[in-house]
Amino acid sequence: MSELSNPVANAAVPGVNWNRKAKFQKRLFILLATVPMFAGYIVFTLYPNLLSVYYSLLNWDGIKEPVFVGLDNFGNLLKDEFVWRALRHNLILMGTVTPAVILISLILAYLIANKGYRFSSLFKVIFFFPNILSTVAISLLWAFVYDGSFGLLNAGLRLFGVDIGNYYWLGETGTAIWAIIPPSVWGAAGFYFVIFVNAMSTIPKSLYEAAILEGASHRIRLFNITVPLIMPIIRIAVLFLMLGVFKGFENILILTNGGPSGSTEVLGLYMFNIAFGSGIHNYGYASAIGMLLFIILVAAKLTIDRFTANRDSEF
Amino acid sequence: MQERRTFVDASWYVLLLIWSVSILFPLLWVFYESLKTNQEFFHDVWKLPTDLQWMNYGDAWTEYGIGSSMLNTVYYVGVSLIVGTFLTAINAYVLTRLEFKGKKLLWGVIMLSLFLPGINALVPQYILMRDLHLTNSLTGIVVLDSFSEIAFYLLMLSGFMQSLPKELEESGAIDGASIFQIFFKIILPLCTAGIVTVAIFKFLALYNNFLGPFIYLGDPDKYTIGVAMYQASQIMQYKADWVTLFAGLMITMIPLVLMYIFLQRNIMEGATLGAVKG
Repeated sequence: MSELSNPVANAAVPGVNWNRKAKFQKRLFILLATVPMFAGYIVFTLYPNLLSVYYSLLNWDGIKEPVFVGLDNFGNLLKDEFVWRALRHNLILMGTVTPAVILISLILAYLIANKGYRFSSLFKVIFFFPNILSTVAISLLWAFVYDGSFGLLNAGLRLFGVDIGNYYWLGETGTAIWAIIPPSVWGAAGFYFVIFVNAMSTIPKSLYEAAILEGASHRIRLFNITVPLIMPIIRIAVLFLMLGVFKGFENILILTNGGPSGSTEVLGLYMFNIAFGSGIHNYGYASAIGMLLFIILVAAKLTIDRFTANRDSEF
Repeated sequence: MQERRTFVDASWYVLLLIWSVSILFPLLWVFYESLKTNQEFFHDVWKLPTDLQWMNYGDAWTEYGIGSSMLNTVYYVGVSLIVGTFLTAINAYVLTRLEFKGKKLLWGVIMLSLFLPGINALVPQYILMRDLHLTNSLTGIVVLDSFSEIAFYLLMLSGFMQSLPKELEESGAIDGASIFQIFFKIILPLCTAGIVTVAIFKFLALYNNFLGPFIYLGDPDKYTIGVAMYQASQIMQYKADWVTLFAGLMITMIPLVLMYIFLQRNIMEGATLGAVKG
């Protein structure tokens, strides 16, 4: 180290001066790099997060003077049946989209990674494609598929002799929440598929050989060899998906905006419409719902993190 | 070790084909429906158009103001992308390869954001932007989004920067280069691959961002492409001009499809890079 730094010091004849200049430049460089970014980060991320705690204690429509109401918003929140209904929808979506995405992407990944089919790389490119599309594009596309009069789904059913007339899947309280699931799965599966393919391709082929000699089926190989070996990655994927589905509402905002009669309302969308919707705005109550989401999401993340850490140490 | 192909293998292959069709067919369908007349459109969902109505694309372009919303999108995405990527790159360098007081603290503060779900900050962020007079302004959302998702992209790039040999800076310093020259002339060029990955991800996130522009932009002439398409779909309840809407949807997807064709390898590699880190 000293051999290397000596020439630096001697590079310019008055070595001390040069060093001072270099030190000054380094400090300036660090300041110029970090100050704008941290200022922006503090102002636009940290400060609003802190503020959301305070706002949740206010009664405020954003125009008149805010009134401090303490924990009233949280009291109302517990009594608000719309909150509980929305929470139920959150749980339905989380409990269906997550396993569907994981199962589909695992099976597809296993087929691509282990079967040596032709056109494997083409399949990869196609499967990943929906992940680059915007939520608006995916949602509009699926709204077209579900449409009553010209939708692909009803037309497809008619091909199989099932004629349900102009049934609009997103417009009926009985089916709307279930119709939210396929677009979410369709849009997300490709991403996890690519992650699982890459994870599976690092498993040495020799691990499968004994199983093949004993005539183990692909189903047994997938669930008894592949899945346990990539379990850490599957767990992270499950965590990501669960939290993402739980807080996501953009797709529902575009597909149904919570309707018909609230049958697809989720917590995030409920909060969004109270704050930014067409009715009377209540920033305090919206922030209280935001805090509820915050608490659920952070608690879930901490719990799952701890749970996975313990499980990993057993190996 | 080669196994014999069986009937079972063939049936699994069908599964791959089905999933592919479920992705490609809806897109293809939107494309050929966008070339029909409205009468044909309602008459038979499956039939191909008899005459190709390319004028639907022109109609969509003018009716939905796609030209101006594309320009808005270029401005919003372009500036946020350049500013955001530069800030990420220079901070990744400072935070991984330079030693200074308070570095650990800075890392800690940034990593905190990985724990914040963000959804609870939507309302205060809006009030803040309103107080700063940054609502209903493209520059406003540029300012907001240049600073978003820092931690994720910093982690992505710092992995890259760590893998560069330490001697780079030392030999640069021997040659009398200042730290500014070292960063711009040595480090940045060597990190091109990593920076491209970060830029691709930022591009996709920004181009596809709906919620931010939807909350902050009120005037139709300031809409980005996503908001413009959403508003176009909302008026379909009152006027059933679906073929034009389909054409509009195709137009918004074209830039992404082109990018995907050229950069699919970077995109798929970057996706897993981010996932392993995140």
